[in-house]
Amino acid sequence: MNDGTRIEALKAVDPASASPLYWDRFRARVLEKAALELAARRTRARTSVETVLTAWSRSLIPLAVAAGLVAAFLAGAIAWNDPAPSAPPAMALEDMLENEVGEGFYRTIISGAGDGAPTAFMALVEAGR
Amino acid sequence: MKELADAELVALARSGDQDAFGELVRRYQRPAYSVALSVAGNHQDAEDAAQEAFLTALQRLDDCRNPARFGAWFLSIVRNRARNLVRRESLRSGDPIPATAHSKEPSPAKAAQLAALRSRLEAALQTLPEVQREIVLLHDWEGWKHDEIAERLGIPSGTVRSHLHFARKTLRAELAGWKDDE
Repeated sequence: MNDGTRIEALKAVDPASASPLYWDRFRARVLEKAALELAARRTRARTSVETVLTAWSRSLIPLAVAAGLVAAFLAGAIAWNDPAPSAPPAMALEDMLENEVGEGFYRTIISGAGDGAPTAFMALVEAGR
Repeated sequence: MKELADAELVALARSGDQDAFGELVRRYQRPAYSVALSVAGNHQDAEDAAQEAFLTALQRLDDCRNPARFGAWFLSIVRNRARNLVRRESLRSGDPIPATAHSKEPSPAKAAQLAALRSRLEAALQTLPEVQREIVLLHDWEGWKHDEIAERLGIPSGTVRSHLHFARKTLRAELAGWKDDE
């Protein structure tokens, strides 16, 4: 007996050799018997999705509260260690004039000396507007 | 359904997907029958064991720890179901494997010859150890390769080759009187 004949004979062991639709019927029978179990699994799968979502939301709320507390604590700690810088002192008019106007001119205007002092002073104020 | 891996089908079937489970049945029905036939030795018990194994596998699908190796896990269920069935029904006389009513032989004479050969082959198969029957059926009938059999039976590929070699040797000896042109 050669290998080909033996393999051909083995094919005859296949129930489909007598009934070509054997395996289709086999599968249909299995699926029919499995229908209840598959339906139960679908129900369990839906339930478990809801359970997961519920559990997720339940754990999310305390997590969010905890995160808020931590954030507040960190913000407080930062503020404590690094106080806000004080506002720079307002520049006095004299300083401004000192910076903007030449020293000699300023003295002339303040002292009222010189003919054009008031006029010059007003021109300076007008220019500063 | 597109060609999904066993692991993907198992994941879908766990959620109750009928198409996925149906694809697993289509993929493993013939190997399941081969393994069951190797153990039970008759068609009716092999068919029952294979069907029951699918239902058992579905019920225990969550126990399949490595879905990528579903085949090996499932065939071990088939083997156990077939053994249980043989034990449970040891007193019941088994139905013979159905005769090939319309086989592919070109002539009635050839059909008769193959039917006779099949009977002798069935008897010869029963002389093999169970694992060798499984391997020779999975390889020579189902067409699985050595590596596929090794993976799905959970044994080394070399062992599969060795079993196949000894199974064929035994079959040749058992069928020594048979002539192709008889």
